[in-house]
Amino acid sequence: MLKPFVIHEPRTPQQASELLNEYGWDATVYAGGTELLVVMKEGLASYAHLINIKTISDIHTIHLTDNDAALRIGAAVTHRAIETSSMIAAHAPLLIEMERSLANVRVRTMGTLAGNLCFAEPHSDPAAVCMAWPGASFELTSTDGVRQVLPDEFFIDLFMTARQENEIMTAIHLPLLPPGMGSAYHKFVLLERPSVSVAAFVSVAGTTIKSAHIAVGSVGPVPYRATAAENMLLGQTPGDEPYRAAAEAAASAADPVGDLYGSVEYKRQLIRVLTRQALQQASERAMGVERL
Amino acid sequence: MLNQKYGVGEKAPRVDGPSKVTGEAKFTADIRLANMLEARVLRSPFPHARIRSIDTSQAEALDGVVAILTGTDLSDIDPYFGHAVRDRPIVAIDAARFAGDPVAVVAAESAHIAAEALELIQIDYEELPAVTTIEAALADGAVRVHDTDALRLGLFHGLGDFKPHDNICYEHHMTRGDVEAVFAEADAIVEGEFRFPAVYQYALETHAATAIWHGADQLEMWANCQHPYLVRAELADMFDLPKANVRLHVPFIGGGFGSKSYTRMEPIAAAMARKAGRPVRVVNSVTESMWTSRRHNMICRMRTAARADGTLLARTAEMWLDTGAYADNGPRVVATAADAAPGPYRWTAYQIDAYGVYTHRSPSGSYRAFGATHLEWIGESQVDQVARKLGMDPLEIRVKNLLKPGEAVRTPGKPMDADLIGDIRKVAEGLEWDKPRPPGVGRGMGIGLLAAGSRPVSTAFARLESEGTVTVMVSTSELGQGARTAMSQIVSQELSIPLSQIRVPDGDTMVTPYDRSTGASRSTTLAGGAVHLAALDLKDQLIAIAASKWQVAGSDIILRDGRAWVGDQSATLSELLFYHFGFSGGELFGRGIVRPEQGQGTYAAGPVFWEVCVGGVEVEVDEETGRIHLRKIVSVADVGTAVNPAMIKGQEMGGAAQGLGNAIFEEMVFSDGQLLNGTMADYRVPKMDDIADEFVSYIVQNEDGPGPYGLKGVGEGILAAMPAAIVNALADIGIHLNELPATPERVWRAIQQSKNV
Repeated sequence: MLKPFVIHEPRTPQQASELLNEYGWDATVYAGGTELLVVMKEGLASYAHLINIKTISDIHTIHLTDNDAALRIGAAVTHRAIETSSMIAAHAPLLIEMERSLANVRVRTMGTLAGNLCFAEPHSDPAAVCMAWPGASFELTSTDGVRQVLPDEFFIDLFMTARQENEIMTAIHLPLLPPGMGSAYHKFVLLERPSVSVAAFVSVAGTTIKSAHIAVGSVGPVPYRATAAENMLLGQTPGDEPYRAAAEAAASAADPVGDLYGSVEYKRQLIRVLTRQALQQASERAMGVERL
Repeated sequence: MLNQKYGVGEKAPRVDGPSKVTGEAKFTADIRLANMLEARVLRSPFPHARIRSIDTSQAEALDGVVAILTGTDLSDIDPYFGHAVRDRPIVAIDAARFAGDPVAVVAAESAHIAAEALELIQIDYEELPAVTTIEAALADGAVRVHDTDALRLGLFHGLGDFKPHDNICYEHHMTRGDVEAVFAEADAIVEGEFRFPAVYQYALETHAATAIWHGADQLEMWANCQHPYLVRAELADMFDLPKANVRLHVPFIGGGFGSKSYTRMEPIAAAMARKAGRPVRVVNSVTESMWTSRRHNMICRMRTAARADGTLLARTAEMWLDTGAYADNGPRVVATAADAAPGPYRWTAYQIDAYGVYTHRSPSGSYRAFGATHLEWIGESQVDQVARKLGMDPLEIRVKNLLKPGEAVRTPGKPMDADLIGDIRKVAEGLEWDKPRPPGVGRGMGIGLLAAGSRPVSTAFARLESEGTVTVMVSTSELGQGARTAMSQIVSQELSIPLSQIRVPDGDTMVTPYDRSTGASRSTTLAGGAVHLAALDLKDQLIAIAASKWQVAGSDIILRDGRAWVGDQSATLSELLFYHFGFSGGELFGRGIVRPEQGQGTYAAGPVFWEVCVGGVEVEVDEETGRIHLRKIVSVADVGTAVNPAMIKGQEMGGAAQGLGNAIFEEMVFSDGQLLNGTMADYRVPKMDDIADEFVSYIVQNEDGPGPYGLKGVGEGILAAMPAAIVNALADIGIHLNELPATPERVWRAIQQSKNV
């Protein structure tokens, strides 16, 4: 049951930061509320002050930046806005695939991408995708200034990020994929959130794999990069055999625990299957068999 | 749209549809009384603990807290309830017996304050050893959940004399022939141990109750209960009141599925209101409702023997059903499970031994198609196993052994009253059984019986007002099954008036007459039977009036289009009443009473009817992940006569979805007696995406039921058939399971195992 709280409506990120400075542990940032209000209703968290960042004006847009080499997604942009954005469709269609399968349309209509990342739920879809996204970074703003943080520095532990107490995430930066790079996101969902998710970005030149980024989500406190698997693929010819070997390496690198989502053994099996499928699809897209 | 006559057999729109989709319909938690307090329940964190002391002083001091109820407040009433065994106190008195057992209740000016007060109550628990699994409860020297010598039987056990002992709440045995001699001569024997999970009924509306006392001896309540008259009797007994002094209103119910059968939160609301001296409302959270009622998990060992020609000979089954800390409806569930164990076949011999086991887990009760759902998948998987051993077709072995109409099912008991062979052939038709299966596709069928109808006692009034409107007074709870629509159609059929002229109000034990219960697929058959008789009674009275008006014989009068006719002369019902009373006032009452002598079976002699639980599925499986995909569901509703085919199809789809949940998704996961997945995020129910690509629904109408027009109940059978059909379809593609639900991981493991063999 929700306990009473006060909502604050800052106009700038600096004002939001000031409020966070002022109220400290008694306050938290509120955007869509799809994660926050649930834990508050369950009594797992309690805040006397919610800082509603939706009233901040310049964090509601999606636009190209860095000489049109990257996307900047404002922190108040909802999942649904991303899912239906022609800008995203043109420049980062993988995000649309990810958003379409995220939670349900009610959650997507209210919830924001930044909120999902800051909540750092271990089964987060966007966390896995951003972890693998080449060059992705998160913009954090406070009264002390603005800084860019890389995903693997940002996600520290379950429900714990590098965001300081007085910082708000103001934007997500996603570089556009270079020609010859394909991407894919595969997950296995039984309960409300994914049991295992795998994001893969593969660059292919001619018949050689030039780079591979693989992130596995939902099996540990934070998504992990399957670096051994990535390295194994360099210089290989795209095909089922190297993908199976890489998938095996990604599964071995996992350190899952058995829980309601499945046993350790079963989770490794899912990593194996999803990694192979994601690599297969990402490389097909890289080679233009399927564009994405 | 309702200005039309919708008689029996027509797809009438639901009479409660508009009020539900507009939000106008009132449910229990919508009822607000003046000065009403909100109650919240403090529940035990331990599966078994002695309560040394409770200190409520801090909570009482909180502004807005009006009263707190604990076990020490119950000394001037009989605080124990339970329609089968009176083993359950309103709140814990000496000990808490499951994690979630109510220990104290706070009534406050708001739910927030009540919730805050719960945190201020100090309880000194002495944690005690607990038996949280069936095996632990049955072990030598196991801790006892109850002092069984001190237990009394409840008011409505309906199961003859029995005596709980050790951790056995109830046992039921059925024997025919010399089982071991028959097994010794059999050509094919299959055997196995099977496990069925604890599952939650998951009605969207949680349990709720509101109570107000008028003086010390008049209790008025609103509750979402399926069996208002049984709840009334239990409340009257506990508070030592005449039954007539307990008035229970039942507004619309947001789904029951058995979770709201028998007494639930009503005693807590009544006792809390009594102590507070003000009206009290209590509404469960989802997790609390999961702790309030669930389906029994079960372990079953079964053997089946057959002759080389496919004749089924003998079966043995031993089963242990976990009823949790309190008997609830466990004894009836155990007896019905035993009834379902032999399945719908002709046996030379069987031995069935069923036990209800007390454990320190949340209590188990009724859930749509109980007993049959537990056993059908086990029995039917053994029939398929026998068929595989003998090289027979699953359809062929069933046709050879299924009971024919009139054959004894069990003795004593009602003989077979349905065309089972016709039903299973319908399933085969829907599955295109004769056509070759595409690679990787499995097909399976299941057929079973559910003892349906409970006690055949139902009554109804039909009140005809001077303007020609009929109010049907019947105590069937409308819980989404469409009872008010079906009752209206029966009246529409007999009096030839449109649905817009027929009303079925909320149940109210002061106004709507006795009905045994809303459950066991009985309402249209039995309460509908009473409504039918009430409508016929009204019709007779109207015809007599018309005959007097026109001075003709009653046999010359017909009712058509809302009027009485003789030749081309006619009068509206309103005009007949004007004639009868001499002015525009006065009313007629029709009376309908259904009791055992009128039904085609008595409770003692077995069920009112045998509900046929039959269906089939076509599946495919992702071998790498174990995920099951349903290509097709075939349901066959053997209903005697369809009052409303659209609602029957809805029942079949809903039941199939729920059966799918029981078969492949749902399980309440307990660890040391603690429920681990008590929310929708972790407890997986079927979603739209999970339902089959194709749903084929047949309605069989052989007019062979005991109800009016030869109808019989529907809505539970397909649930019990689904796990059976799915397990058999999986076995059809080499995936053998003896434990449900068939989660992706379990299926994947079964595939790995079959590869290693």
